[in-house]
Amino acid sequence: MELQAIHDTLTAAGVAGLLGCDEPRPSNKKEKDQGRSGLPFLMVDPAGIVPLLTACRDMPLLRFDLLIDLTAADPAADGEDLWVLIQLLSLKHRHRLAIKACLPKSALSMPSATAVYRAADWHERECSEMFGITFEGHPDPRKILLPDDWDGYPLRKDYEFPTEYHGISCE
Amino acid sequence: MSNSTSDQALKAHEPSYSTEERRTLPSGEEEFFFDVKTSDLEVNMGPQHPATHGVMRVLIRCDGELVTGAQAHLGYLHRCAEKIGENVEWLQYLPYTDRYDYLAAMNNNLGYSMAVEALMPGFEVPRRATMLRTICVELNRIASHLVAYGTYGLDIGAITPFLYAFREREWIQSLFEKICGARLTYSYIRIGGVFNDAPPGWLTEVGHFCDVFEEKWKEYRDLLALNHIFIKRTAHVGVIPKDMAIDFGLTGPMLRGSGVDFDLRRDMPYMAYGEAHEAGAFDVPLGEGEKGELGDCWDRFSVRVQEMMESIKLVRWCLEVIEDGPIIGDVPKVLKVPPGEAYVGIENPRGELGHYVHSDGGKIAVRCRVRGPSFTNLSVIEELMVGTLLADSVAIIGSTDIVVGETDR
Amino acid sequence: MIQEQAQQALSHAVHPGSNVFVRILEWLPLPEWVPGWVITLGGVVIGMSIFLAVMSVLVMFCVWLERKVSGHIQCRTGPMYAGGWHGWAQSIADGVKLLLKEDTIPNEADRTLFWIAPAIVLGSIFGAMVAMPLSYDWWFGRMDLGVFAILALSSTTTIGVVMAGWASNSKWSLYGAMREAAQVVAYEIPLGLSLLAPLFVLGTFSLNEASAMQSGWFGMKWAIFTNPFLIPAFMIYWIAALAETKRAPFDLPEAESELVAGFMTEYSGIRWSFFFFEEYAAMLLMSVLAAFFWFGGFESPLTGALRASGVEETSLLFSVVCFGTVMIKGFVGIFLMMWMRWTLPRVRIDQVMTMGYKYLTPLALFCVLGAACWEALQHLIFS
Repeated sequence: MELQAIHDTLTAAGVAGLLGCDEPRPSNKKEKDQGRSGLPFLMVDPAGIVPLLTACRDMPLLRFDLLIDLTAADPAADGEDLWVLIQLLSLKHRHRLAIKACLPKSALSMPSATAVYRAADWHERECSEMFGITFEGHPDPRKILLPDDWDGYPLRKDYEFPTEYHGISCE
Repeated sequence: MSNSTSDQALKAHEPSYSTEERRTLPSGEEEFFFDVKTSDLEVNMGPQHPATHGVMRVLIRCDGELVTGAQAHLGYLHRCAEKIGENVEWLQYLPYTDRYDYLAAMNNNLGYSMAVEALMPGFEVPRRATMLRTICVELNRIASHLVAYGTYGLDIGAITPFLYAFREREWIQSLFEKICGARLTYSYIRIGGVFNDAPPGWLTEVGHFCDVFEEKWKEYRDLLALNHIFIKRTAHVGVIPKDMAIDFGLTGPMLRGSGVDFDLRRDMPYMAYGEAHEAGAFDVPLGEGEKGELGDCWDRFSVRVQEMMESIKLVRWCLEVIEDGPIIGDVPKVLKVPPGEAYVGIENPRGELGHYVHSDGGKIAVRCRVRGPSFTNLSVIEELMVGTLLADSVAIIGSTDIVVGETDR
Repeated sequence: MIQEQAQQALSHAVHPGSNVFVRILEWLPLPEWVPGWVITLGGVVIGMSIFLAVMSVLVMFCVWLERKVSGHIQCRTGPMYAGGWHGWAQSIADGVKLLLKEDTIPNEADRTLFWIAPAIVLGSIFGAMVAMPLSYDWWFGRMDLGVFAILALSSTTTIGVVMAGWASNSKWSLYGAMREAAQVVAYEIPLGLSLLAPLFVLGTFSLNEASAMQSGWFGMKWAIFTNPFLIPAFMIYWIAALAETKRAPFDLPEAESELVAGFMTEYSGIRWSFFFFEEYAAMLLMSVLAAFFWFGGFESPLTGALRASGVEETSLLFSVVCFGTVMIKGFVGIFLMMWMRWTLPRVRIDQVMTMGYKYLTPLALFCVLGAACWEALQHLIFS
């Protein structure tokens, strides 16, 4: 199913928090727009992620059984938002859905998706240690890949590389 | 990584201790003890442990041989692959992709190349390149499954199948050496195609390999998969029901081992797989609970063993249809990828390898996310290991067929 | 009839006199003032040294054989360089390496027990080997209850293993030790019971006599051919012996993929090699024991031929043939053990226990009963 159709299905079911579709567009030199290629995204409000994912999983037309990936991206060091990106896959209908939620850097907190997909557990742990996003309601919010005492969020664009770690020089 | 054993509780499956000194075992039996105060033993399995397939640490709590709690600690092989992706040029990142799932480097190359190609509108990979890619990727799948086969034997205690498996893997590696000069980290599949055409006689040798391997494969199956002790050790162990597999987001042989009929190559075809499937070049083997329950360790193992044969069929098909032509599209040395975001998931030997790449039109990616199948597949073990015996927990870790390079990236 | 047979057998099995080395010393022209106890003591000391040397060479040969056998099973060649011909000196080179290696003891380990454990293991297995005759005429400590001595002493190694596991202060070691204790206790029973069956048939506890009892039919009157119940008894014995010697598929106490290296995780250098030594010595012992009680011991058509041509049993030639025969039988057994090790996966602890208690023990009892009935029947019919 195409993204627009998925969007319409969700809207028709009364799912809140949909902010439209981010479709790829060709470049336009007149307006100095470089365009955007690749993947269409469903833009959503991070606060409503749990009902949205539940609807995606349970609606017979969508049936997104698998949460393939949950990650974040920091598009620009001086930008205001972080993106949380979710990839869903339907085994039955054989279609994918990419979800993008923009989180302001001033309030990096959103509900955890672990109640809907248990696959989100480790992905959210990784995401929160790498970007500093808090997933509310996560059952086990420890760091996963980084040491427990690691400072900073390495995948953020404003991350400064440490010069030493426990007395070991990193330069 | 600092130690976090005692202060943080293991995942909750703790048997309940009550004042009457009675508790319920995970099997549902009740155990009484009046005089002897016993306590569970916390054991660190790893990071230097033969069963963890690299440097992974599983903290397990045991009551004798019975595992009552398990917690995986990762990150001992974390090499910042995603951060590096944001700091090197598109083409320069390719060798790094070899290093996360180092047993299936061709597949990783392919995943990354396809993700970048998805950002280049209208770009078409030449047909010969697609075929060479398919041959290499499928051969690498066999090589990877051979390691899975051999190391699982090691986990169960059979040492010899490992060496047999490596004998055939050696051949595949020397085939790769002939085509790209490397034996483990190939960087052969490039953005736009492949970097080198097959040397004269190479395709014939691949065909010869297929013939020989088919014979050997039967031996391997009889030697380990159908061995009575092996079946006793793996059937009914680590059962993942269908819905649990889906809930945990398992992919690849882990998912198919639980009887879920899904393979990206067939169901969401990329490259020439759709065409191959129409030509009947491959099937998707599924776990059937043949020796035990559906979704047990034996089923997962058996799916991998059968997939090797399917890959051989695919390689044969490619050898039939491959024709001469260019091997790489028109890609500049210093690549500037048009702005955009793409996610491409391909079927790796271990499951779906996803690459999310974000370009702002420059020479370097803004974000390069790697979704490693081992990472997600591993997350299920904490759940599976509880209530099994210590030896079973080793069998369970082995049956997930993880590569720690990929869980930690 | 059985009594006659026994008398006949005993007549050439039992030689008067003492340990072969005491006899050598007695034969030497020593001055007369040397007291008798010095001669005895000297004999024992020299005997022990030669015994240890012989056994060590045999065990080292076992180790080399294991490497070659495993190599060829796995499409490799095994050691090829040390010593020249097919790496024959590999075990010696390994021994030197292990002697020179740093011997580490974990800080938190119980040092005394940690030191004693390998000594107990090695001492008890060599103690058990004392009861093993090398020919009718060559022996170090012949015992009328040789089987008992061997079973008792060889299972004493368990104490050393448990001690090693406990003293290492490592959880993996402790697991190995506990598994060893559980496994050995479970398999002592079928092992002893399955040995009872040939004991019934042969009517003796002494290894020499057991061999002599099988000297009929031109050296082919092996116990296993005379009583059908000995065939299952041997299978039970063999399985139990594998478990006793911690060999795959029963290598749970070491289980390298589960317990790192089990009870010897913390051991290194020469102390570790003691455990290694013990494993191979126990294999040798178990195979030789099987040879004595099922497969004719020293007896083969060759000894039959020698006997027919009038060669004395005390002669050097006869002794060499006896020794060669029993060693060939023993090494066939060892090869079988190696073959199984490099073929089979490991069983799980609950499966080991189930098999030992639920299946092997009753089966062994059945074999004992069957063997006894068969013998009684034979007695009734033929006498």
